[in-house]
Formats: sequence, C-alpha cells, structure tokens
Amino acid sequence: MIMTEPASRKTSHAPDDAPARTEPAPTEEADLVKRARRGDLGAYDELVRRYQERIYATIYHMTANHEDANDLAQEAFIKAFHALKSFKGGSSFYTWVYRIAVNKTINFLKQRKHKAAMSLDDLDFNAEHDPDLVALISEKTPRREVGLTELQEKLNVALQRLSEPHRLVVTLHDVQGLSHEEIAKIMDCNIGTVRSRLFYARQQLQAYLSDYVK
Amino acid sequence: MSQDSQDFESLRRLLALKRHEQPPPGYFNDFSSQVIARIKAGDQAEENPLERLFWEAPWLQRLWAALETKPVMAGAFGAAVCALLIGGVVYSGGVDVQPRDVAGTDTTITLPMQIANASVATEPLLVTPAALSFSGPEASALPESMAAESSAASIFGLVPRPSAQPASAPLSPLRLSGGN
Repeated sequence: MIMTEPASRKTSHAPDDAPARTEPAPTEEADLVKRARRGDLGAYDELVRRYQERIYATIYHMTANHEDANDLAQEAFIKAFHALKSFKGGSSFYTWVYRIAVNKTINFLKQRKHKAAMSLDDLDFNAEHDPDLVALISEKTPRREVGLTELQEKLNVALQRLSEPHRLVVTLHDVQGLSHEEIAKIMDCNIGTVRSRLFYARQQLQAYLSDYVK
Repeated sequence: MSQDSQDFESLRRLLALKRHEQPPPGYFNDFSSQVIARIKAGDQAEENPLERLFWEAPWLQRLWAALETKPVMAGAFGAAVCALLIGGVVYSGGVDVQPRDVAGTDTTITLPMQIANASVATEPLLVTPAALSFSGPEASALPESMAAESSAASIFGLVPRPSAQPASAPLSPLRLSGGN
C-alpha cells in the first residue's frame, strides 16, 4: 500500500538541496511518546513522520479535498501534542492519534455548511498498471488515463454521498486496510457496528457505482 | 461472509484506485517540520469547547450522535428533561421549609421575617454606616434609642453583638497630607 508506507522509508524522496536525513534508529514508540510528553520536539517529529501519511490519507479520503486534509492533519498532530499528557497508553499512540484526526474531521464536515468542491490528488504512475484497475477499465478505451481519471471522480462523488461514519469505515477498511478491531477502537464502537456499517456502506456504493461495478 | 466478499469484490477493486491518489511530490518532506514549527509558535490548533468536551467524554459524543440521527429519541430526551424540570419545581414548592427548634419557636423563617418587619416599620433595609460602626466618635455620639433601633433594624442587630467599648482615646482622623 502506497499511503501506508512508513515515513522513514521516504527519505529518498527528499529534494537534493535538503540536508541529508539520516535513517532514524528503530526507537520504540513508547519511548518516543515519553520523550515527546516531556517536551522533546525531536521525538514528536519522529512520531509525526511515522504516521503523517496515514493520517493525511484518512482525512483526505474523508474530505476529498487536499487543502482541507492538509490543515486538518496538521491540526490533529498539534492537538495530539498538547493532549499528550492525557494519553494514558491504554491504546497505541497510532490509534489515539487516529481518533483525534477522525473526530476532528467529522466535526469539520458537520460544521461545513456547504459541500466544498473536490480538490483531488493526482493518481500516481502505478495506477495504470494496477491489475485490479486494468480489469475494470474497458480494453477498448483508447486512452486509459482518461478512463481512470473519470473513474476517480465518480468514485469520490459516490463516497461523498455516504454519511461520515459509513465513509470512514470504507476508508479505513477497504482503502487503508485496517482490521475491524482497529476500526472499532478508532471509532469507539463495537466490531458488530463496524461490520454492519461496512456492509451498508458497500451496498450504497455499489448502487451509486452500478455502471462501473458488476 | 465469503458470499459478501465475493459480492463486493469488484467494488473493492475499484476502491483500490483511492490508494493511488497521492499528494504533490515532496509534500510529506515538509509536513512534520510545519507541524513542529506551529507547535513552537504556540499554535493551539483551534478547537471549540464542545469539541474538547466530546473528545474528553466519548459517551457524550455517542449520545449526541444518537439524538442527532433519531428525532424520536431527541424528542423523548427533551420531554424527559422537561418532566424532570417541572417535577423539580413542583416538589420544591410543596416542601415545608419551617424547621423548628426544641422550644417550638421558628428559627429559620423568623429571621428574615424580623428583618422584613423591622425594615418596613422603622426604616429602609439599608444599614446605615453608623449602625455598622462599632467604635469611633460617631458611635458614641449616636443617641441610644436610635442606636438600639438601628441595631434592631439591621441584620447585624440580630447577631450577638460584641461588646465594643469606646476607645479611651478618641481615634484621630487619618492624615494623608505629606509632612511639612
């Protein structure tokens, strides 16, 4: 999965003019949290880099807007830093940050009076070669890229038609690959609720995208 | 469950497209440094008190969500709150608040009644500064009858009054003028 790649592996993407970033030592998360709680911003920076992609992706898939996702993801990490003292360690830091981000996003979407125009991220190069996607696109389509872009837009429109909890479950499970148990912890509900929401959300999506899925 | 999985297989393949949506190249290079810079700048990540309350009490958020999505439940909750309020008002009106001491005289109620009677009959409830002063030239200059009357009329008159003796040497007014 592209969006869940650990941040530490992304050092190769750093621009040439940026200072060379050394590969972070495999530090335990609990230790980083403890240091961050004492005000060590270096430790917190490491925690942010570990989870920034997953948090951003979740918010982005919920809002379908890059700018909103950027703001909300940053605010979620800032809020998490200030709330670190209340983090009791009952769950993993990862789940805890996820919950902050998810709550923040849902509140944002509720407060947003009108649906903002979508500001979608571009598809990466690998999309064209994804066997699952290739199977979905007609072989007779002269320009496959156009087909994928259209499909992307239709898919996002359909997702935006779902309610926030249903969209969240689909995002976390079918897009980000989280387990039912993890989703239940993040959404603070039981696994049965997660399953039923996922089933209903898929049914809805299938109806909205009936032209593209069998 | 496997039947469901098969039913949604093509949908799941389509959803795989979402994983290929990527922010602009190099976006994550600066992300953490922006967060840290905002933390250093004292950014508190604006949040409203309701959001904070929801975050600290997840059960409240669940309750709110339930009320929001089910109008019947919201109506029932509102009716229950109203019933509780009305019940409280009715109950508080019917309670006898006249505890009596052993001798059978009112202790709680008579106190404000005395004050009210005294204030209506004799003078306004306002306590004169003279009645409040326990010492000083004004206290000694006040006629005894007036002092007694005002002490009965004032709330302080009902409290056992300390036996304030006039100072042997009258207090001289404070001089604030600065020296020669």
